[in-house]
Parts: sequence; structure tokens; C-alpha cells
Amino acid sequence: MKRPARHLWLLLPALLVLAVAFLWPVGWLLSRAFTQPRPGLQNFVLLWQHPIYLRVVWNTILISAIATPITVLLGFPVAHAMTHGGPRTRRWLIFLVLVPFWTSLLVRSFATIILLQRHGPVNGTLRALGLIGQPLPLLHNLTGLLAGAVQVLLPFVIFPLYAAMLRIEPSLMQAAMTLGARPVRAFLRVYLPLTLPGLMTGATLVFISTLGYFVTPALLGGPRQLMVAQLIQDEIAQFGNWGVAGALSLVLLAATGALLWLLHRTVGLGAIAR
Amino acid sequence: MIRDAGAATTRRALLRGSAAAALGAAAGGLPRAFAAGSLSGKTVVFASWGGAYQEAQRASYCEPFAAATGARVVQDGPMNPAKFRAMIESGSPDWDVCDVTIDFLYNGIGDRLFEKIDTSIVDTKRIDPRFVNEYGIGCIVWSYNLGYSTATYPAGKEPKTWADLFDTRKFPGKRALNDEPVAALEIALLADGVAPAQLYPLDVDRALKKLDTIKSDTIFWTTNSQSQQLFVDGEVSLGVILNGRVYDAAKKGAPIALSWEQSIQSVDYLVVPRGSRNRAAAMQLIDTMTQPENQAKLANMIAYAPTNPAAFASIDPKVAPWLSTNPANVQRGFVIDAAYWRDHLKANTERWAAWKLG
Repeated sequence: MKRPARHLWLLLPALLVLAVAFLWPVGWLLSRAFTQPRPGLQNFVLLWQHPIYLRVVWNTILISAIATPITVLLGFPVAHAMTHGGPRTRRWLIFLVLVPFWTSLLVRSFATIILLQRHGPVNGTLRALGLIGQPLPLLHNLTGLLAGAVQVLLPFVIFPLYAAMLRIEPSLMQAAMTLGARPVRAFLRVYLPLTLPGLMTGATLVFISTLGYFVTPALLGGPRQLMVAQLIQDEIAQFGNWGVAGALSLVLLAATGALLWLLHRTVGLGAIAR
Repeated sequence: MIRDAGAATTRRALLRGSAAAALGAAAGGLPRAFAAGSLSGKTVVFASWGGAYQEAQRASYCEPFAAATGARVVQDGPMNPAKFRAMIESGSPDWDVCDVTIDFLYNGIGDRLFEKIDTSIVDTKRIDPRFVNEYGIGCIVWSYNLGYSTATYPAGKEPKTWADLFDTRKFPGKRALNDEPVAALEIALLADGVAPAQLYPLDVDRALKKLDTIKSDTIFWTTNSQSQQLFVDGEVSLGVILNGRVYDAAKKGAPIALSWEQSIQSVDYLVVPRGSRNRAAAMQLIDTMTQPENQAKLANMIAYAPTNPAAFASIDPKVAPWLSTNPANVQRGFVIDAAYWRDHLKANTERWAAWKLG
């Protein structure tokens, strides 16, 4: 359906805020990549000559690529229960998924530390049940980082999935089964493809959010979970290297763009816009 | 570099304990050569790191200075290296006296950010010569120490040296290490048998090889509160931690103690930004800081160690054992080589990141 364009001016305030609060400062930082300390490409040459920088960018992409499917797999059943459960279940689930949104990231990270530490409740319960002898190393490694990241990111995948599932005609599954498909086949061939727009939106949001993580890896991760935001922070706060920080940001931006383009070509990002 | 915002929470308790001593200190010791009220009408801007630390500095340096000279001291801050540089570039700094870390002092000398200390106004002889610089006077000292859980290692079986930190057979358990090359590389080399006098320039390869031996047993901390929490929660049994944090945790009842062996000292300096409009008055404020009663007052308030050894005469005997410059502790450690770190921080930080990932 084509909408009349005459209400487009209503976008102006939002665009203005975006321009002043986002485009201008980000553009300023990114332009530093080419101008500081001297005009030219020396910052990119430096990133290339010191392999640590690109290794950390790669590490960041890898961690995001691990966090994304885990978040989707955990979020899918929740969205499904929200869609197909009774109104009471739905209300409770929406409430429970929203609560983390109202809590500061720092508070949630410290709560995760308390839960997962050596003498914390998770290890305590497992030991009391006799399942483990020694406390499991759940913190200051990839497990800790993922635990912290996934719980924060779940709402980003649950809500788009929920929206997509609401739009699925319930009779479609019945039709598939009437036509002889077993439930698993009906789910895989009919239901799942229809959730794809929501699923891809959620996965993209999770992936991009994880790329910029800073607090969570610093508090919950270990030495191998060094992520690019930490390097950018070091370059600015410790060394005053706005140029290198800008170049690193640009590389991350370019890598993200390239990945999204790849995703668009293979899975069809157009599904999101539907 | 790490900067300890310190045993901030202990301030109120200590304030009460030292109120009487403080009253005595404020009254005594007029700075030499200044007539009372000689600076009345003048305003001096003092910038530091905010919080309990600056509050203690206000009470211990600025108030006695104002009382003696009649000058008004305005508190500002927080100190920020980028802001400091921008002020100097503008040609007329807003600040007259500023508290800076040792690494900024050495960086700033190269970039001509500070006025030379006027030794005709500041009596530098009061200060331990190791904490006197041509461009800044040390006001407090803190240190990287070996901390350990007294629950895991009872008296007689406690770790004492950095070599013990790397001895996972004799001292099993998780370790804490600051997540930056500063001090961590020195500690690895000391543990590997390098004498403090032979440390610099650091043999980074050797240090990282030594660190490899405890890497899988180590939890890295990025903030001082995190280091304290790791010990309090029993996540680690021993490790690198700042002395002020052990003091704070122990005061709150945590089973924690520290060793002073080979402790690595760091210093905060008072400097005068180049181009200060109140240079002479600023120097007088720094001179007030060097006086033993004023340094003792600050140590009693916030447990940062004095640079004037005579201050210990007025320091609470409950606080004194925790201070890096206590005569019993100071000779067992050494001051970090800030000139080395000025030239190698960037390269070593890159190598540190690569080592962590490797």
C-alpha cells in the first residue's frame, strides 16, 4: 500500500535529534581516523601493521556470532509460549522479559557475578546436589561473558519473534497436518519460515549490539574475551589517540556492514522490512 | 594507569577518630616566610580527583593554607589529562595547583606543561628525596602489594614474595592480577629473580613467559573495587592489589592481609600548570602540603601515605602499618620507573593485549 508522502515532515524532529546527537559526534570521531595526527591513511596502516587490532576485531565478531544463535534458541520458545499461551501466561512472560529492560546494565552484570561466582548459588546448588565436586569456572571466561550478554539481549529477539508469530494464521499449521505433515515437518516447513522476518530482525539486533559490548566483557569475561570497544576506550582515555580510535570504529563499522550485506544476500534481509 | 579512588568509604569513621588531632594540626605550623594574611584577596584554584580524596586534601592542605595566608582556595576538578593539556594550550590555565599521577607528571614534563617548583618558596628538604621532582612534589604514595586470604593461608603459611604468587604448587588457588602491563610486568620479572635495581628497561618477553605459567589460574581486574570484591567473595586466594584496598577490606572484616615485600610504589604529585596567574601563591599552597602535620591529617582521614617521613609522629597507630611509606615498609619496596613507562606504555599495552588473547 502506498502512503501519501505529505506527513513526512513529522519525521523532522527525530531526524534533527539523530543528526545532532548521533551523526555529528560519530562523524566527527570517524573523520579523526583520516585527520589525526596528520591527514592521511596512517591510522589504517598502523592497524594493519600491528596485528593485535584486527585480531581483536575478529575476536569481537566471533563472540557476537556465538552469542546470537544462543540468544535466538533461548528466545524462540519464550516467544512461542507468549503467542500461544493463555492471556495470564502472556502477561507474565511479557512482564518477566521487560523487567531486565528496567534494570541498569551494571546492576545486571553484578547480579550475574553474584550468581555465577565460585561460592555463588549456582555452584552451591550443583555441589549440594552432588553433581560436581569442585566449583565450575563460570565467570571470567567465555561462559561468563555469554551468560551476561544473552540475558541482556533476550528481549531483542523475543519481541520481534512474538510480533512475527502473532501474524501467523493458526489454521496454516492445521492445514499442513491435515495434508499429512507430521508436527515436526509442519513446524519446519510452514511455521519456522513464517517467523523468519522476526527471527532475522532479532538476530541482527543481537549481533550488532554484541559487537559494541564494553561493560560485560570487562566484568564477566576473561583475558581471551578482549573486545574492540575496550581497545577503543583505551586508545581514547589512555593514549588520547582519537585517530586510531576512529579508524578502529570504522573497521568495525565496515565489518558489520559487510556481514549484514552477506546476510542479506544469503538469507534475505528484505524479510525484516516485510 | 590505575588510580585508586581509595578507601573512600572509611572517611567518615576516620574523621571522627581524628577530629581532635585535626584541630591541633590546623592551628600549628605557619608556613615559613609568609606573613599572616599576606595573600588576602588572592584566589587560588586547586584541582584534584574529587570524592573523599579531594575532601581530605581540602581539609589538610587548603584550609591551613587559607588560614595562614588569607587567600581563598577554590576547589575544582576532576583532574583530566586532556583537559589539563587543553588549558595549557589556551595559554591561561584555570587551575593553579593540580594533583597528578606519576605517569602524567613524566609525560607533562616532556610537553612543558608545568612550572618549575620554586625551591625558595617550597621547602623540598622536608620531603623524602625519592618523591621530589623538579616540576612536582609528591603528596601521597600508594603501592601495588601482594594480598592474600588469611582464611586460605593462615599465619606462618602465608605467601610473602612475588615468587610465591607464581608458585602454584606451594600456593594453589586462583590469583588476581591487574589487567594492564604496568606493575604486572615488573612483578613477573621480580618473581623470576630479577633484582629491583636491574628491572628497567623491562625484559617484556621474559615477563610474559613468566606470566604464562599462571595465566590459566589468574583472574584479571580492571578496577580497584573489582580487585577488592574478588578477595571479599573468595574468588581469589592471593594476588596483586593496592594497599588501600586491603586496608579497606580488612577494616570491614574480610580475612585479608598483605605483604610489603617488593611492593611497587606510585606517587601523586602536586604541580603548577604552566602560565598560572598565581604562581607564587600556588607554590605556597604546595609548601603547606609538605608540612608533617598536614600530611598526617590527610593520612588519618583517608589512609594515603605521606611523603614527609616526619608525618608519622602524628599518624594514628592503627593506620600507620597500612601505609606504603611507613619506615618499616618503604625500604622493602621501590618507586615505579615512570620515565620508562612514559616511553613504553603504548608498545607494552599492545603486547599485553596480544598476550591475553594468545
